[in-house]
Amino acid sequence: MSEPAGSSIYDLGYRRYEGERIGRKGTLFTLYVHGLRSAFGLGRKASAKIFPIGLAIIAMIPAIVQLGVGAIVSGVDQHVELIKHDDYFEFIRIILVLFCAAVAPELVGRDQRNRTLSLYFSRAVSRVDYTLAKFAALVTAMLFLTLVPQLVLFIGNGLADDDLSGYVSDNGDKLLPIVAASLLLSGVIAAVGLVIAAYLPRRAYATAAIVGLAILTTAVANIILETAESAVTRYVVLVSPILWEGLTRWLFGVEPSPGSGAATADLNGWLYLATTLVAILVSLAVTHRRFVKVTT
Amino acid sequence: MSLITTRALSKSYGSVVALDDLDLELEPGVIGLVGANGAGKSTLIKILLGLIQASSGSAEMFGLDVATQGLEVRQRIGYMPEHDCLPLEISATEFVGHMAQVNGLPRGAARERTAETLRHVGLFEERYREMKGYSTGMRQRVKLAQALVHDPQLMLLDEPTNGLDPAGRDEMLDLIGRIGTEFGISILMSSHLLSEIERVCEHLVLVEGGRLVRSDTLSTFTGRTGTVTVEVDGEIGGLAAYLRERGFEPSHGSHELELDVGDDAAFDAIRDGAASLGLGLVRVERGRRHIEDLFRDEETSGV
Repeated sequence: MSEPAGSSIYDLGYRRYEGERIGRKGTLFTLYVHGLRSAFGLGRKASAKIFPIGLAIIAMIPAIVQLGVGAIVSGVDQHVELIKHDDYFEFIRIILVLFCAAVAPELVGRDQRNRTLSLYFSRAVSRVDYTLAKFAALVTAMLFLTLVPQLVLFIGNGLADDDLSGYVSDNGDKLLPIVAASLLLSGVIAAVGLVIAAYLPRRAYATAAIVGLAILTTAVANIILETAESAVTRYVVLVSPILWEGLTRWLFGVEPSPGSGAATADLNGWLYLATTLVAILVSLAVTHRRFVKVTT
Repeated sequence: MSLITTRALSKSYGSVVALDDLDLELEPGVIGLVGANGAGKSTLIKILLGLIQASSGSAEMFGLDVATQGLEVRQRIGYMPEHDCLPLEISATEFVGHMAQVNGLPRGAARERTAETLRHVGLFEERYREMKGYSTGMRQRVKLAQALVHDPQLMLLDEPTNGLDPAGRDEMLDLIGRIGTEFGISILMSSHLLSEIERVCEHLVLVEGGRLVRSDTLSTFTGRTGTVTVEVDGEIGGLAAYLRERGFEPSHGSHELELDVGDDAAFDAIRDGAASLGLGLVRVERGRRHIEDLFRDEETSGV
């Protein structure tokens, strides 16, 4: 080192590491935490935090609005339900897409651009571990935009109610669909986002492709539903974000709102569920394949 | 236990043969892997790391097969690639700490060793800054640190002095030498510059066209060539006479002389002679020319 102060510090002896070494689980967890941190730009400069954290805050707004309205009118009327649980994801659909489009390239594109992958794969990190850790990190990040606002809404509604424990016991059956819908939606958005970002290491391309795909498939599905509705063509909703609506309404046990894509298609709920799971698994497999093939 | 063993290791990309029937048996120590660009150095390292699969043959490290027991093998090694590999948007501390944990160190230990390792490689205040602003030399140090932080048994260094200026090159080689000798970590270091390998390595592996030319201790490469070349900025004859008086047998041309050196006494005599004759020493070079001659001979006769 050029600075003279360095030479004296150099003389510190080297110490071997005899302590505990955590195995594969620890490595997976490390990758997961690192992914989650970078999803929200933690450990980076402030500008990297603005977009993901901003979107997470925006996704919370409908819940806050409902709570505010509920609080104002609670004295007057019994209960005003402006934003229902099964509506929630429809309100923030574009926010979810934008978040995934911003974060997925961060998680799987950056390591490819920086060529850090060769460091991971030359360590005790398998391609499967890497793919799973990144997926888990993105799903967890998405839960901050899906599950967290839903829970805020649920608890807030309960607090606004005269009788919290009564509210919870009356509406407790909503918790399962809340958790299930949040997990499945986060899972499918994350998986599809990851596979796109894994194959398009250039950040701008990946972001554009994810947003573009969501908008395009929604538009195409709606056009097909409106112009050429038939027993066969209605299945087009399965490869568009309309899937999310169909799945969510089915999980909550309510009919899709009249006129919506999901209402027009009128598919069996199990089909939505099966499609979601298949989409997650296929996307993960294809993402994994990318990391097997990519030259490090 | 042998450090690295390969048997009939081959790798081909289509019709291009990168490694051809390579048999190696290497003991722990500081090992230099030398060959021209495209000789198969990086291919060998990448197979050992499990980054690519061999076409045929097998490779073992610490007695474990790299293909079937890869994860176990890779917990015990550190790798410094030739290419850029740093996430420039985070700090060296953040990155090296992360890599320590990826390599299995618990959080607290990772933090501690990150600080120590960055000191060892000579990164101080700047380690908290984004790596974007680092010079090539600093980046190479971080690359070395992430390969060292988890206290591996073996470090694989692919062209570690790439892109460094002469001063940075010297510092990097010193560091590598210290890691090998003082820290007691085995090193396999590739380079296309013999002089670098000669400076730090105890064992030399010569590859050419994907084939092993020779694998031996450095002293057997240089054993017959214990000579030193001396160049001065004045009349060389005076120095040659001075040395002859003291029982050495230099041979000299018009500007330089060559001398067999047994121990430091010869160097002392050269120094004292130059001083008493008022000559400036331009160059005192040990055996380098000879090892490169040997290298050329091996290349032409061995392939």
